[in-house]
Amino acid sequence: MPSIRNQIRELRAERKMTQQELADQIGVTRQTVIAIEQDKYSPSLETAFKVARVLGVTLEECFQYEPRGRR
Amino acid sequence: MSNIFDMERIAMAISLSYREKSLYASLVAELVVYGPYFFLHRQNSVNKVAGMIIGIIVLQIILQSIIAALTRNRITDERDRLIELRGYRVGYFTLASLMVLGLGMLWFHSAFGHLSMEGRWVGLHFLSAFFGMLVISDIAKTAAQIVAYRRAL
Repeated sequence: MPSIRNQIRELRAERKMTQQELADQIGVTRQTVIAIEQDKYSPSLETAFKVARVLGVTLEECFQYEPRGRR
Repeated sequence: MSNIFDMERIAMAISLSYREKSLYASLVAELVVYGPYFFLHRQNSVNKVAGMIIGIIVLQIILQSIIAALTRNRITDERDRLIELRGYRVGYFTLASLMVLGLGMLWFHSAFGHLSMEGRWVGLHFLSAFFGMLVISDIAKTAAQIVAYRRAL
């Protein structure tokens, strides 16, 4: 599993935003948003910045780096 | 609110992106067209190989057209491209491994003189072997991409 964790699901819920709406705004498929939320895919830096901007938070509030084996 | 997330959770399990649907169609086409090559054709010929190549092209055009017509959102993104590259890597390693195996068998046959065929049949033998290698590596590439969509990258 990727060592990048995220709070997208929680932040999205607070904003009453669907996965499709987020996907449309950052230019990816809904399946990619699903994979990111489930920590199955670490997005590129560009996509990570887009997600943070759309959700109105900083990158660190949205994504956290956890080295492998520290979970 | 919770309904939206419950619906999303259900949709997660069954939803396929355009690229995934396209890959499943490719795999079906490959198995339907190439399957007989491995299991039914006892005697191969240039015409059968040519027929299969035409068959896969026609079936792919039909299936991909249907999927494109039925899918509203046809965008591909960075994850699709990464998965595509991983598939090509698997396909390349499969092809390279089969080539090494084939070369080893050729060396064995030439060293111990087991390959006693007429010139015409030698050509057909190589055609079958190389076509088989391409088919297997293509199926491996498609299968690897399908698996990558369901696993963590």
